[in-house]
Amino acid sequence: MKAEARTILYFLWNHFDLLNELFEEQMQKGYLRRESLANILKKYEHDVSDKLHEYKILRSINEDFEIRPVFFNLVEFVQNEFKPVLPETIEKYGFSITNLFKKIKEGINGDKEILIKRIEDVLSEVRHFVESIEKNTTKLLQETRALKSNIEKIDYREKVHRASGWIEHYIVPLNEILDVNQHGSLTNQLHEVAYFVNLKRLDFHDENVRAQFEKLYSFLIQTNDDLLRQSKILTNELLPLIERIKTESLILSGWIEFLRRPYHTEVPRLFKTSRENTYQRNFYLVAKEYLEQFLVDEPVMVEEVTAFQQRWIFNRDLYKAKLEAKLPIEDFFEWCGKTAKKDFHELNQEKFFSLVSLIFEDDMILEADKNAPHTQLQLEDAILHVPKVKIDKHGIS
Amino acid sequence: MEYPKSHKHIVKELLDGKFMLHSDPLYQILKDNRDFYEQFFKESFNYELRFNNDFAFLLSTETNETLSRDICIFFALLSYEIDRDGRNFIEEIQYSEWDMERINQYFDNTTYIELVHSNKQLRDHDSRATFINALSRRNIIEKTTEGRFIFTAAYKVFIDFAAELAKNKVKEGMID
Repeated sequence: MKAEARTILYFLWNHFDLLNELFEEQMQKGYLRRESLANILKKYEHDVSDKLHEYKILRSINEDFEIRPVFFNLVEFVQNEFKPVLPETIEKYGFSITNLFKKIKEGINGDKEILIKRIEDVLSEVRHFVESIEKNTTKLLQETRALKSNIEKIDYREKVHRASGWIEHYIVPLNEILDVNQHGSLTNQLHEVAYFVNLKRLDFHDENVRAQFEKLYSFLIQTNDDLLRQSKILTNELLPLIERIKTESLILSGWIEFLRRPYHTEVPRLFKTSRENTYQRNFYLVAKEYLEQFLVDEPVMVEEVTAFQQRWIFNRDLYKAKLEAKLPIEDFFEWCGKTAKKDFHELNQEKFFSLVSLIFEDDMILEADKNAPHTQLQLEDAILHVPKVKIDKHGIS
Repeated sequence: MEYPKSHKHIVKELLDGKFMLHSDPLYQILKDNRDFYEQFFKESFNYELRFNNDFAFLLSTETNETLSRDICIFFALLSYEIDRDGRNFIEEIQYSEWDMERINQYFDNTTYIELVHSNKQLRDHDSRATFINALSRRNIIEKTTEGRFIFTAAYKVFIDFAAELAKNKVKEGMID
């Protein structure tokens, strides 16, 4: 009975170290020998050999085993560890794409279902083609960087020998596949396909087929960008390999090693700046330094805090009544002065003008002789020159 | 207590995480009072004062790992790309005057582009410009004119790290 999908994924997550070890073994040897499998399994606490078969992760080949391609590819992908494929293997995509393209052109007016299937297949083949190119360049970059870094300390002759091998068997043939300047290159074939697909996505009479052409066209545009990038890697970095490995530097070897796992290598310590907080151990010194600034002998003025005094409030109604009771008043300002002195025991501006404000009451009738001389009134905090203002009577009464 | 001349300035510069370069007049005062400052930073803050013929800097028990890692990635990629360009990367870093255009050209075209894109401080032109400013604040670069700059001797901290890493890997006999 087939296991639940989640159970298999959980198993993979739970036993990834084991799976990775099996993957590395198969990368090296091409398959898993019965003894190697047993030895690797022994290292782990739980015996999961039954599960490996039940979940169809392993497949028997006579006495030995291999990881099924789907799981192998998964680990390959997540670990970014690829086995380079010989360019002649990649070329097969060229044949299948050309063949399918030919059939599409021939059967363009034929069975619609078959046409759609062929378009889908072209897309799938192009996808596989791009993936194998990317895998190869990734692996070639890793290998050539390792050669450049030369941590193994192999001598120059051996380095050149290995580099020549990579160039002859992988890099040059791969470049031929991608080279747009070569008439028969796979990149040029894809351009031809893209040109045809571009026309058909616009003018094909059936909407479904047109949609398929559209999808393929978008994919081919993206593919073109991807292949250009890969081609650039080849011409900039891989083809000049012999030239590049001529020089060797310990520092560069260190950097290449660092760049293999930049987030898993201990880096130099760098001073961490921080803000000053009261709980920091250096706060005492910071505070001391700050306070020392004020240890200079300069005269200091200390202002005494004045005692709280109740605020004086003018009782307007009371003094309005007093004013009305005295009416008529011959000299209003004189009355204000006298009243302030008598009632408030002081004659300052605040008290005086509080009383003066009564003059603005609506119902007062005022009289003043413009030609009469002003009299001087001495307050505690000011000297005022005031006219003689007579208040006749209360307006209402 | 009598402090050396420019004491406050020296302390501030070092506490700001700057590399105090040989060309800086403060470096000489620091050098003349080396024993005092070693003791001063140790006892006041528990920081270690590192000193060599090119520069001086502080080390704390806490480290700014992110910045240090990004600086390492920066120098690693730059060295790799200069070498790929067929030039002597040490000479270029040590003597060339740089601008953002050249830095961007190397970083935009590197085969480590996935690493570049995944790094917040190096992923695009704007973040790289900010990063270069961060290097300037630490005196790892010195701005010259019109957006150009040179690397100061402080780059040696990171170059030495790479050389040490390679030596250790060779010792470990780490073979892929």
